[in-house]
This record gives sequence, structure tokens and C-alpha cells, in this order.
Amino acid sequence: MQVYNAPLRDMRFVLHELFDGGDFGGIEALAEFTPDLLDAVLEEAARLAQEVLLPLNASGDSEGCTFENGVVRTPKGFKQAYQSFCRGGWTAMAADPQWGGQGLPAAVTMLIEEMISAANLSFSLYPGLTGGAVTAIAGYASEDLKRSYLPKMVSGEWSGTMCLTEAHCGTDLGLLRTKATASDDGSYRISGEKIFISAGDHDLTENVVHLVLARLADAPAGVKGISLFLVPKFLPGEGGAVGPRNGVSVAGIEHKMGMKASATCQMVFDQARGWLVGEPNKGLVAMFTMMNAERVGVGVQGLGVGEIAYQSAVAYARERLQGRALTGAKRPDLPADPIIVHPDVRRMLMTARCYTEGCRALGQWVSRALDAEKRESEPEARARAADFVAMLTPVVKALFTDLGSEAANLAVQVYGGHGYIREHGVEQFVRDARITQIYEGTNGIQALDLVGRKLPARMGRTLRPFFHAVSKACEETCADSNPQLAGFTAALGQALGALQLATATIARRALADPEEAGAAATEYLRLLGIVGMACTFLKAARIAQARLDEGSSERAFYQAKLATASFLFDRILPQCSALLLAIKAGKRSTMLLEADAF
Amino acid sequence: MASNIRKVCVIGAGTMGAAIAAQVTNAGTPVLLLDIVPREGADRDAIAKGAVAKMLKTEPAPLMSTAAARLIETGNIEDHLDRVTECDWIVEAVLERLDIKQALYARLEQFKRPGTAVSSNTSTIPLGKLVQNRSDAFKRDFLITHFFNPPRYMRLIEIVRGSDTAPEVAAGVEDFVDRALGKRVVAARDTPGFIANRIGNYWLASAINAAIDQGLTIERADQIGGKPMGVPKTGIFGLIDLVGVDLMPLVSQSLAATLPAGDAFFKTVRPLPLVDRMIAEGFTGRKGKGGFYRLDKTPGGERVKLTIDLATGEYRPECVPAPLPALAEKDLNALVDAPGEVGRYAWTILRDVLAYAAGLVGEAADDVVAIDDAMKLGYNWTWGPFELIDRFGPGRFAARLEAEGVEIPAIVALARDRSFYRVENGRRQFLAADGSYRDVVRPDGVLLLADVKLASEPIGKNASAALWDVGDGVVCLEFTGKMNALDEDVLTLIQQAIPLVESGYKALVIYNEGANFSAGANLGLAMFAINIAAWSEIEKLTAAGQQAFKALKYAPFPVVAAPAGLALGGGCEILLHADAIQAHAESYIGLVECGVGIIPGWGGTGEMLDRYARSPGMPKGPMPPVAKSFELISTARVSKSAAEARELLFLSASDGITMNRDRLLTDVKAKALALAVAYRPPDRPTFRLPGESGRAAIAVVVREARARGLATAYDEVVGGRLAEVLTGGDADLVDIVTEDQLLLLERKALAASVKDERSQARIEHMLETGKPLRN
Repeated sequence: MQVYNAPLRDMRFVLHELFDGGDFGGIEALAEFTPDLLDAVLEEAARLAQEVLLPLNASGDSEGCTFENGVVRTPKGFKQAYQSFCRGGWTAMAADPQWGGQGLPAAVTMLIEEMISAANLSFSLYPGLTGGAVTAIAGYASEDLKRSYLPKMVSGEWSGTMCLTEAHCGTDLGLLRTKATASDDGSYRISGEKIFISAGDHDLTENVVHLVLARLADAPAGVKGISLFLVPKFLPGEGGAVGPRNGVSVAGIEHKMGMKASATCQMVFDQARGWLVGEPNKGLVAMFTMMNAERVGVGVQGLGVGEIAYQSAVAYARERLQGRALTGAKRPDLPADPIIVHPDVRRMLMTARCYTEGCRALGQWVSRALDAEKRESEPEARARAADFVAMLTPVVKALFTDLGSEAANLAVQVYGGHGYIREHGVEQFVRDARITQIYEGTNGIQALDLVGRKLPARMGRTLRPFFHAVSKACEETCADSNPQLAGFTAALGQALGALQLATATIARRALADPEEAGAAATEYLRLLGIVGMACTFLKAARIAQARLDEGSSERAFYQAKLATASFLFDRILPQCSALLLAIKAGKRSTMLLEADAF
Repeated sequence: MASNIRKVCVIGAGTMGAAIAAQVTNAGTPVLLLDIVPREGADRDAIAKGAVAKMLKTEPAPLMSTAAARLIETGNIEDHLDRVTECDWIVEAVLERLDIKQALYARLEQFKRPGTAVSSNTSTIPLGKLVQNRSDAFKRDFLITHFFNPPRYMRLIEIVRGSDTAPEVAAGVEDFVDRALGKRVVAARDTPGFIANRIGNYWLASAINAAIDQGLTIERADQIGGKPMGVPKTGIFGLIDLVGVDLMPLVSQSLAATLPAGDAFFKTVRPLPLVDRMIAEGFTGRKGKGGFYRLDKTPGGERVKLTIDLATGEYRPECVPAPLPALAEKDLNALVDAPGEVGRYAWTILRDVLAYAAGLVGEAADDVVAIDDAMKLGYNWTWGPFELIDRFGPGRFAARLEAEGVEIPAIVALARDRSFYRVENGRRQFLAADGSYRDVVRPDGVLLLADVKLASEPIGKNASAALWDVGDGVVCLEFTGKMNALDEDVLTLIQQAIPLVESGYKALVIYNEGANFSAGANLGLAMFAINIAAWSEIEKLTAAGQQAFKALKYAPFPVVAAPAGLALGGGCEILLHADAIQAHAESYIGLVECGVGIIPGWGGTGEMLDRYARSPGMPKGPMPPVAKSFELISTARVSKSAAEARELLFLSASDGITMNRDRLLTDVKAKALALAVAYRPPDRPTFRLPGESGRAAIAVVVREARARGLATAYDEVVGGRLAEVLTGGDADLVDIVTEDQLLLLERKALAASVKDERSQARIEHMLETGKPLRN
């Protein structure tokens, strides 16, 4: 049973209460978006997710996409759903008003993306990739290209893709082979084959705009010889209509573990016409602008799946009757107690709940920094926000998807054998969530990015906004006359100490041996992620306690927030000590066994 | 023997003569500086006087202090040549023309006392020609002392003894230039250009020719011929710009006139139309309109770096060459084996200069050590020619010469299956021309830690410091970390050193042979700690530094520190805690913390207060030491010499100054052993400090400085924190403030400083640009 009610109360909490006047708040350029307006947008999005997208989630999964005679079809209902999605203006929410977008702050669009991902992860990919392509084109393409493509993509009439992967070249883009040859008219001819292209072709839009990485004839070897091209399925015709078919075709679609309603295509470019985006041989710069935005987006997908899995598990745990509570029957009127009475079931539900609330709050923090990076008036404030985003991007990607996947697995566990049966729909969450840990840079690569690039850059400069914010939260003890809050603060202080020690240890060891950083990377990312979540929970708990003390009418919400925070501080935060021990152990045992001894 | 020379006469007040005179006075020895009588003007001493006045404004300064300048008497050779009788050594540094020099010597002979040494600073004229027609007595007193420019800073002096030169006369001069002037004496034979300039000039010519012939850009040539070969970062073309493009053809002509036919010089050196044109158009290097490199401004006022295109001779924007292969940066073999222009160019210049240098053993110099020393000290090469061949592998070098049909110099053939240097029984040995190995002999009384390290193991050691037994019951604490930075490991070893020295030794000296004594705490690490908000770690490190330095101060044995080069921040504070300092004359000492928005945190404030309070000239009352300390620390003042450090009270009257870097360890050891006799640790000082009222007085001064644009808004804040410490916090004049209370105030002020975003911006700016941020 797939249950999803958009967590609007918690979304409003993170949007309006959690960071009120604090980090990356109060951006003048966003003043027009009043809280009332934003709440209305969120409610509209919730309706779309629950009423339009959720009903297609299980059916889309069982039907899947089809490929016949070179044509890709999405499952039943997807086309209508996409049309109402476009009509509602959801494809345009984040884009620049110059191209017909609404320019909504990331703080809000991230919440909307969470709802879409939760209700139907496969569906979310189609508009999601278009959004990434729009960012790259708006940032790097010529004015002509922008004028020809952006309005159509922002309206949702045309969709976008990013074509990186080739059969022999995944993480290591330096191996790329697709070729681009200059034509006399200033365009290029692109030839090569790409695989794993999400939304590479489908029947939702009249045109698909591919952003393709390829090599120019005289390009240097490796990653410094890669350029980015815009290659449409149909060449643009007169007056905005589509013109003749370009040399782009689909060789097939992948048969996947999950995300079956999202078309993952093998693309063939055969002398296809394309246009350079950005400078020759600097394609990765443009692509990584898109990638970074996509990575945050993928993290939010993990959060979305985690949320629907959690809600579905709660619903089942309340109604499934088995055995009796350990302390005696809780519902003697029933033949057995609902399984939610059991501590171990509670453990699973509370864990998933902590993950989703923690990730939502941390995600909100990052999305506010994304807004500040773009729209703050002071350059120092923009730089600080950019540092924060740079450091947290790999954390959001890897932490949120790992935890989302874990939440999905916990949901199956709560269902027991019924979770393993397809008709209940929860095993789909496990299958769907699994790819989020892999694509847009595997979570291992994210961890390497964090320890290898972000941590040592400029003497730890990118770390500063995050570490200082956490340190400040620990110092604000005056808020903690309440002993429970004081306990949280002390615990966060200890966890921060572990994180600082881990950071210094890795920084020092990696100078002499980069493998030390590589061996510690995944644990370090998790440690940092947990500290980040705990910091947001500490703030949340302080606010909740203050509201309760003021006599708020929303006692249930704030009490639940405190309870969830308690669980995090009691049961999840202690992992930091273990992670630190593992990090301090260093690479030795990881690298001990000779490769042939495996 | 140094005492035999109590006054020196320098004749010729040009750049070199005046600067040699300055260095003599830097050593505390009076000088009579003479030049010709000007054609015009009433003042017959105007030229020599003008030279002294000019030196007071020259940067880098030839004079170490204004007191030194006062030791120079000026005069002219018409009226004052008879005064050479007052002098024990006469240095001739007049125009490089044989007739002028000979005429001067003829006149000198009439006045000078027999036995008074006369030396010429000629760089090219053979000694035999200089003393033609002179009496035997004059010849006995005559030698060549070839200084390098600038004489205060270049540590090389080439000394040529003639066949008639009396050994005791030469020895007296050599001893003086070694001990008093701080130079390392390299004995050169009486051949054209002596050692360093003969090789150096050949090297530059060969490197330019090869760059032109092989079609390299200047940037590429300097990238290959610079750092990987241990040549200063200016590289080849940058070095020519520095010394003057016009000097090249002059030196070449002079060498061409005197070198024996058949010298490889004639095959290599050729006229370069480009260089002639540059000189004609005034592009004579940094002193002119620019040289191979120059800075220009665009019409928009933007500064652009330009470089000459060797093919066209036109300036074009500087281009950054592709990085060298990683190994080629460190390994000479990888460098010459690198594909394409890199390997080809590297091999050409190394082959030419190393083979040329090898051919001069036995001709221009007695042995390989003299040649290596000359190039290291005269041209600032990291490795001398023979050390470079050793890095290359003499066998590989010879084989490659052979393969190219280049004649193998005899000394290289000798070294073929071995090396020029080796360590035998803990002693460094070199390969002599007869094929035997001989010990590298240091001058009498020179002790180098490098030699101690070859012969023994450290008695204590960690990643950032080491302890060595340097003999006679003295332990040496050496900093070994990157840039000799002071970190947790150094502090730990200090704490370990104290019981060790106490249990079996007499004294501890703090000394190292790095380019700089220590630039203080590792700012990069501090920045990292700040970035991750590791405040408690920073506080711990601050406290650990205070404890370690106080432990040194109150240890039951004498501690003497011997700075050379930079001693900044924590590197200065450790000096202030020593019982005494024996400083190299070139010591640049300062408490520079305020420049990066923080304050000294390892006891430096209290030590300065105490130094000023104990200073005999200090006016009475609690305020003068506070005001003086504030002025010194808040402006981050760095001494430009040990002499100036003494004026600033970083050094006290009883602290010593050593002119010769090679003699510093011997001197500091002697000082420590002298103190060890009946040693008693110092008493703990107490302070009477003005508190609030003192801060108010300082605030007025700072506000004025700000109004005049001398201090920034944040300078005022940092100054306030510093004043809080120096005035004793809540102290009142009736209170006695202890050292520990001051340390606590220091820790508090430092903790507040590092948390301030404006300090963080300053530190970051310093790390990224090397320049202070004025926020």
C-alpha cells in the first residue's frame, strides 16, 4: 500500500520557522515571495503529487516503458499527467522569468521536488532533467540558442537530457569517444553512442534537447578535451515549430531494477547537427554546473522515496495486528495489538522519521544557501553561501540517497513478508531508490569529492560556514535552561569534536598519502551528514520547546518534533563515535589484502 | 687575528666600494672611504659623501644600522691618501681599468706602511698585471679580494694570492673577511674572471644561446633552467634582468680579452643582436625600462607582464608554460630525459656548464669544493656543479658526453664509477684531482650542524624538531618542519628536551641551518583549525606554547637562541624566552601577529614589557614600557638586521651578533657554556600596569593614527585587544600583575581574535597573497 500525504506542516516548519532570521535568510531579492504565497504553492504541489502523480506510481512500475520500431512510449497516463504538470506551470517554477519561468526560490522548489519524487520517482526524471539542461543552456549557451530553446523547455513543450555516459566510460569521462566535427555554418556534426540516457526519448514532448559531451577533432586527450553540444531530436523549424528530424535515434531502452516508468535509453548520434555550448574543450565546466544542481536534486529524490516509504510503513504498522505488546496487551479489544507497539518496529519507524525530517531540514539549509549564492547583494555573502553549497552538495547527494534507500528497506522490513510481495508496492521503493545512490556520480565518488576536493581547498575555507554554524549552535547554550535541550547541545558539541578531529586527521594524513583520504571518505561523509542533521534537530528542538512554552496550539506537532529529536540524539548521533574510530584506523586494513588474494 | 685590522681604507666610492665600506662598518670597524675630487663644486669630498648619503636610502640597505653609517669617514685621494697609515687594510675598488689601478698603487706605495695589506676588488684583471712595476714589498702586501654584489648579502668572497703575496698578510685579510665581514673565503687562482663569474657568465651565455637556437620561449627556458636545477626562481633571463642586461657584453668582452685561446668560452659566447638592441633602447633590466621581462600598463591602467619573444625581439604578454612532468621537478635524470624541448634544453645547458666547470679544476680552482662553494654562494645555486653531477650520476653524465662525442673532463673521468662527494665515517669527503678522497675541511672554529648530523644520530626527534649533541655538553634544538614552523610537535620536543638536558648536559642552544630561523606558528594549519571551528584546539596549542616557552625560560640550565634570517611571531617569542641570544647579523626579528589580526599568544607581550621595563634608558612609571611595547607589536615591526633588533630591544646589550653564518653555532655554544658556569634561572618578573587608564591613553594615540590614515578600523580593534593585555586587564597601579596573569590575558585576547571574521580574512589573505590585508 503506497501511502503519501505531503508533509506540509514539516515543510512549512523548515521553510518559515527553522531558519528564521538565521543562516542564509532574508534575501531582499526574494521578498516578493510572501509566506502566504509560498504556502499556497506548496498546497497546490501537494495536490498534484497526491492526486495526479501518486496514482501512476505503481501502475507505471508494473507497465514500464516500451520500445518498438525505434519509438519509446511511457506507461499509460503519463502523457496526460505530464500535460497537466505543464499546464500547472510546474516545469517553469525554478526558471528565470526572462525565459518564461517563475523564478521561485530554491528553498521552495526543493520542497516541491521532494513531493514529486515521493509520489512518482520515475515521473520526476522527465521534468527534472529538463530543469538541469535549462540551467546549463542559460549559463553557457549563445544568446541565439537560448532564444530558440529556453522558452520551449521552460514551458515543458520540449524536454532535456544530459548525455555523458558511454559503454566504456562512466565515472571517468576522460575516456569519452563521441566526436564532433565543425561544419561551415558554425554548427557541428556529432557522432557516437551514449548509454544510460534518462528521458533520452519518450512520447511526453514534441522534441527532446540533448546536451552531449563530445570531443573536437583536435582536442587534447583526457578531460581537458571535452566539449558540450546542444543536439535536438528535431531541428527547430519556423515560428517555434519543430523542423526536420536530426541524426539522433534510440537503439534501445535499458531493462532496469527499478524506475521502470522512466525511459533509460541507448542513444545513437549519427552526424547529428549540434551547437557548441560554452567554450571548446571546456564542456565539463558547463556540465558540472548542471551536475552540481542535479546532485542536490538526486539527494532530494532519496529524501522523497524515504518519506513515502516511511508513511507507507506507518500506515501498515498501525493496522497490522500481530502478537501483543511486551508489557501486556495494548488493545485487548482486538485479536492482537497493532505491530506499532513493538520497540523494534518503533526503532525502524523512528529511524526513518529522523532521516526524512533531518534530511528535509538539512536540504532546506542548503537550498537557502543556493538562493543566497545567486541572489545575495553582498559578494562576501555570496561567496560564503557558495562555499556552503560546494561542501554540502556531495553530502546531500550521498547522505540523502543512502538514508532514503535505508528507509525504503526499513519499510519493507516493517511489512515483513508482505513487503516482499509486489502488490503492496513497498518493494518498488527499494528498487527505485537504489539508483539514486549510483547515478550523477556514485556515492563513493561524492565522498571522494568531499574529502579530496572540498576539504583541502584553500586551507579548509569551504568548510568554514558549516563548521562555524554548528559551533555557534553549540555555543548558544543560553537557550538551554531546559535539561533535555542542554543534553542535546552537549551531545552535538561532542559530535562536532569528533568531526573536527576526523577532519584534521584526514587533512593531515592525506597530505602524505591520498589513499588515506580515499579510505576514510565514506565514513567521513556520513559523520558530517549526521552532525549536520543533528545541528538542524537541535535548532528545531529549541524552537519546538519555545513554542510549547509559549502555549502554542500545535502541541502535537512540536511534541513530535521534540520526540524525533530525542531519538536522533539518543540513537543515531552516537554513531559519530564509531565513525571516528573507523576513520582514525586509517587505510591499513582496507588495503592490506593483495588484489589477487580476493 | 681579526683584531689586527682595526680600521680599513676603501678607495673608490662606487656601488661596490661604498657597499664594502658599509659592510666593514656593519662589523663595527671604522672605515676611511676615499674617492676622487669632483671636477666641480667646493666640497672636495663630495663624491664619497654622496655615496654614503645614497646608501642610507638604498634598498636592500647596505648598512645594518645608522650607527654603522657614523663609522664611515669620507675623504678624497688628493688630500687624504696619507691617512692610509691609520688603516690596517686598504681595499681598492676603483674603475676596472688597469692604468688607473696601477697609477693609484704607485701613489699608495708612497704613503702606506709596509705590512699593511692592499687588495683589489677587481673582477677580471689578473693580479700579475696589477702589481707590475711595484716593489717587492708592495707585492708581498698585495692580494685580490673579489666581493660579490651586494657585498652585505652575498656570502662569497674570492681571494687570489699572488706568487709574491706574504702568507701572513693574506691570512690576516682572510681572517677579517671571514670573522668580521661574515664571508666564506674561496681561494681562487689568478685566472680571468676567477671562479664564479667565469662559470656564471659562460652558463648564462650558453643558456641564452640554446634558448634561441632551440626556439624556446623565455618563460619555458626559465622554468626548465630555474628551480629543477636548484637555480633561484628568477631563472636565467630573470637573473640577467636583475644584474643588468648591459653587464653581460661588458663581462664577456673583458673575459674574451684575457681567457686563453681554446677556452670553450670562445665557442659558446657570440654577439647577440637582440641584447645589443635592448641595451641601445634602454631595456637594461630592472634598473632600466625592463629587460627580458617587463611590466607595462595597458591604456586602461591595468598592469601587464610582458616578455620578449626571442625570435622576433618584440614584447608580448607573458605566457605560462605547461607544467613540467612531475618527476622532472625533482630528478635531473627525469628532467633531461623528458620528451621534446624540455629534455633537450635541460641537457644542453647542464652539459655545457657542468663540463665547463669540470674543466676548471686545477686551473681556476684547487678543487671541486671551491667551485661548488663559489657557485652556491656567488650565484645562489642550491647545488654546486659537482653536486649536480652527483645528482645526475657521474657515470651517466660521462656516458652521455661520450655518446655525443664531447670530451670528458679529467675530473669527471675520475669520478665515473663513484661520486664527487661521499660520507666516510661520518665525515664529508670530496674527490681530489689525484683520485683520492679527502675530508672537506671547515675553516678553523667553524662548526656546522650539517656536519654533526652526518656523524651522529639525534638524541631526540619528532616530525617537526630534533635534538642533537653538538659537543662539550651542549644540546642543539633544531626545527625541522616545513619553513621551520613551530607546531605541537616542536612544543612537545621542547618539553622532552628539558629533563634530557638537565640529566646529562650543561646547556641548550636553539639553532638551525634553514634559510630562516622560524616564521612562527604554521599559519596554514591555524587557518584550517579556524575554518573547522576547532577553538578548543587553538586554545590548547596557545597554552602549550606558553608552557613550553616558560619551561625553557625557567629551566635549570642556560638556553641560548641563535636566529638567522626570519624570526617572526612565535619564532621571535621563543628568542625572547632564552637566557641570551647570539644572532646572525642578518636576523629579521619581529612580533608580526597584529598584521594578521591576532596578538602574540606565546608570552611575547609579557617578555617585551619586561625588556622595556628593565631597559636602562626607560623613563620611570608604568606607562612607558606599555607604550613602547604597544608601538612595537601593534605595527608588526620587523628588524632589518640584528643591529636594529638590538635597538628595538629584541636583543639586549649582552646578546651577541655573529657576522659569519658558518660561525653561529660555535658562537652560540660558547655563549651557552659561559652562562652554564654557576647558572641560576631568572627570577619571575612582576609588573605594575596602568589598566583602564593606560588603555584610554593608547586609544587616543590609535584614534589619531586612524584619523591620519595610518591605521584601519580593524587595526583599532586589534590594538584594543593588544592594549587589554599590555595594560594588565583590570589591573590597577597598586596591583602587582604576575606573569601568569599576563599569560591568561594573552590567551583570552588571542581566542577572541581568531574568532573574529576580520582576523580570518587577514589570515586568509596573507596565506593566499603573501601580503597583509588592510581591513
